[in-house]
Amino acid sequence: MGDHYLGEFEQIVLLAVVRLGDNAYGVPIRREIEKRADRNVSVGALYSTLDRLEAKGYISSWFADPTSERGGRSRRYFRAEPQGIEALALAKEMFDRMWKGVRLA
Amino acid sequence: MPKETPRIAEWLLRRLVPGREGEIIAGDLHEEFVSRGGGRLWYWAEVMSCLAVRLSPHRLTAPDLRQDLHYAVRVLRRNPGYSLTAMLCLGLGIGVNSTVFTMVDELFWEPLPVPHSDRVVAIGRAGEEMTCSYRDYVDFDRRLAMPGGHQFSGLLAYDDLATSLDVDGTSRIIMAEAVSSNFANVLQLPAQAGRWFTPEEDRPGSDPVAVLSDGAWERRFGRSMSVIGRRVRIEAQWYRVVGVAPRGFLGVSPPHTMELWVPLMSRPEVTQLLANAGERERPRVRLIGRLAPGIGMQPAEAAFRLVDTQIRREFPRDPASTPAGLVTVAIAAGSTMPAARQVATPISILLLSVTGIVLLIACVNVANLLLSRSVVREREMAVRRAMGASRWRLARQTLAEGLVLAAGGATLGLSFGYGANQLLARSLPALPHVGLVTLDLNINWRVAAFAAVIAAASALLFTLSPAIEHSRQDLSLSLKSEGAPMRRLRQRDVYVVAQVALSLTLLVAAMLLVRAMQHAQRIEPGFAIDRRLAARIYVSEPEYTPDSGQLFLARLLDAVRATPGVRSAALSYTTPLSFSDAVCTAVERDARPHRAASDVVVPGYFETIGTPIERGRQFEITDQAGSPGVVIVNETFAARYWPNQDAVGKTVWLGCDAKAPRTMAEVVGVAKDAKYESLDEFPRSFVYRPLSQSWVGFVALIVETSGAPGDFTAPLRGVLHRVDPNLRVYEIQTLEQYAADSLWKLRWQASLLAVFGGLAMLLAAVGLYGIVAYAVAQRTREIGVRIAMGAQRADVMWMVLGRGLGLTAIGIGVGLVLSAGVTRLLAMLLYGMSPLDPVAFSVASLGWLTVAMLASYIPARRAMKVDPVVALRWE
Repeated sequence: MGDHYLGEFEQIVLLAVVRLGDNAYGVPIRREIEKRADRNVSVGALYSTLDRLEAKGYISSWFADPTSERGGRSRRYFRAEPQGIEALALAKEMFDRMWKGVRLA
Repeated sequence: MPKETPRIAEWLLRRLVPGREGEIIAGDLHEEFVSRGGGRLWYWAEVMSCLAVRLSPHRLTAPDLRQDLHYAVRVLRRNPGYSLTAMLCLGLGIGVNSTVFTMVDELFWEPLPVPHSDRVVAIGRAGEEMTCSYRDYVDFDRRLAMPGGHQFSGLLAYDDLATSLDVDGTSRIIMAEAVSSNFANVLQLPAQAGRWFTPEEDRPGSDPVAVLSDGAWERRFGRSMSVIGRRVRIEAQWYRVVGVAPRGFLGVSPPHTMELWVPLMSRPEVTQLLANAGERERPRVRLIGRLAPGIGMQPAEAAFRLVDTQIRREFPRDPASTPAGLVTVAIAAGSTMPAARQVATPISILLLSVTGIVLLIACVNVANLLLSRSVVREREMAVRRAMGASRWRLARQTLAEGLVLAAGGATLGLSFGYGANQLLARSLPALPHVGLVTLDLNINWRVAAFAAVIAAASALLFTLSPAIEHSRQDLSLSLKSEGAPMRRLRQRDVYVVAQVALSLTLLVAAMLLVRAMQHAQRIEPGFAIDRRLAARIYVSEPEYTPDSGQLFLARLLDAVRATPGVRSAALSYTTPLSFSDAVCTAVERDARPHRAASDVVVPGYFETIGTPIERGRQFEITDQAGSPGVVIVNETFAARYWPNQDAVGKTVWLGCDAKAPRTMAEVVGVAKDAKYESLDEFPRSFVYRPLSQSWVGFVALIVETSGAPGDFTAPLRGVLHRVDPNLRVYEIQTLEQYAADSLWKLRWQASLLAVFGGLAMLLAAVGLYGIVAYAVAQRTREIGVRIAMGAQRADVMWMVLGRGLGLTAIGIGVGLVLSAGVTRLLAMLLYGMSPLDPVAFSVASLGWLTVAMLASYIPARRAMKVDPVVALRWE
């Protein structure tokens, strides 16, 4: 199933997509990450990661109608696929196992 | 008031991420730009970050490449004629290149066929053939190889020798290696039968033993196990066979093939030199070592150089006679072995250049094919352009087709190459005095990688032009009926001219070599070749001492001279045009001696061999061992040392060491110059010495017959057998045969070049055919119109033919100019002939013209058969 474990940034992006549910397109994904993960994300890094996740089959995308706020351009919405959810779960499990019993002084 | 997003940045964004992707991102940025209320710098930074999107393995482009390849395969399958032709042309080009590269690889990079060959190194000395003296080797071994040192797990010494091997009375000239007893241990060689040497066997005075090669075992003993314990003879020494080397091991002097290995100490010349305590420098040997585990080559080399300097300090020697080059350590493969380098480099350069040109011509053919196809697919391309495919997409499509063609060509090429390898390996002559050269041409990963690289490079080359064509088309023009053939045709014309020119150059080079060969065969050898026979005989110790040997040879000569059918007979050390000896000579006592070629002969030699004495006299019976030393020199020698003087009466000192006692000899005669080693050699100094004053037991008996010399072989053997049944007689050959053999290299190169030149011409002819056929197809309508209007069919044919011939003429012109420039590089191989030999140039040009006429005529005939009704309807 799928590739290796998700990279850190891939996890963050995937989680953001999951959190946003139906409203997951470029702008809110970026804002969510900036707000919650306290990380500045460039649009290039975001979209190349989104493309990679899509290529792995963890998310899928579709295009919506153009809107005037975007100067007449359409949006690309993203949705997490079951494979992606599974990958996230596995990643979390792995970290839990690594963290178990560890105390940071 | 929302500001405008920076226009330039947005434009850059759209170029970085084309299509819908870019649109989405632009939309995102617009939205955020508005909500942030501006920020040009931020916008620019975001656009720059989109470089990551551009460079990432984009979801939308990856399937594109697969798609391109799929499509390419489909296109090629629908047009089998064109794809097969292209692949065949490429296959030929890649095939000849891979064959030559296999040879080059074998000569330069093939490691020794021993276990862990990457740890086996050859230790040489810069600028020298031999590495060091044997005594030095013993010191090196003690200090660097276990257990004394850490750098090498073993060091071995060796030298190669050309000698004769007698098995059961049959003698053959072979190459052998004299090695130290740890030879097999260092190389980790097993024995196929029996065993290798023990340390005790490499001591002076011990019973001499030998190990046979697999080839010798097969050829001389039929692979019988009874070979162990059998005795064989090398010159004066008997050896007991103790083992057989593994199959495929041919010695450590590639590309020469060894038949035998013997311990160094079993060689009398080695033990004699070692017995002389004052002599540190000789005998000289070469070294091979196996690196200790974990040691790199650099530290090993450094350690060796250190010990080398130490040894020189501890045992000072005469700097003038001691080579002072630095020690070098390199993996023992191909060109690090000294013999291989001399053989390898000039041939490799010549052949690779030639096959490179053949490949270039093949690529041009394929480019032309693609261009002609591109016309047919014009409309398809135009439609795709209109649907939004970028020029890069279309170019990529063409490249994909090219790669598929190249892959097919490479596979075909490697298969051709495999067959050609066999032919090439067999074409190398087995001349004993040259040293049997075996090339085991196998396709290994390096050759496959080379084929892949040149296939890819060719693909790039031949798709360049069509790809540009496809993407450059003017849409509107293509979507209508016929395109604009004129401009594209001109490009193809240039290609054909280039092909003709290049292949003509190769042909001219081939013709030049053929002419040089003919010329060489007509060179005056300076002695008589016809009606002469030469037999090599060995008068060996201990049966004969130098004194009894002289008597025996005198008796032998008398017997031969008395035989009916013999006009005259004489003896010499060297066989004409086979090999020559050398001595050091000096004409003043204190002058530094120089090497001159030399021979040892008997009275009557010069008549038998047909070399006149210009001044002075011959050797005579009165020139005996006790009488004053005499020599005869040749014209070149006399002119060099005593210009404008009479050489007769002058003194010569023979000997290489000016400080050691030397022989003094008086010049009693001057002989005419002759060719001594090969017909195409440059004049050299030569000294003749009388056999009575310098005894050699290994001589050539030269016989002048009254009838055909070839018929005299058996009678001669009979006479010799009667004189002494145990006399060892080697090859008996006519001098004509020796002369022909001496030109083997020239002949080999000429044949190879002729083959490649012919191939190049064939490929170019195919290209020419293609272009004329294409022109006919393109102009079918025009032809139809003309015929309907009353033109004669023959005239129409000439109209079409004219183009083909015109291009050929231009190509030949360019080719002649190119050849004139290039053939100067061949001057070294063309002794006595001008690189601008008119006969070669004209024959090549006429040949091409004929082929060109044929290649143009066949498609042009089709023009004559055009039915105007059909043609006018054709769209």
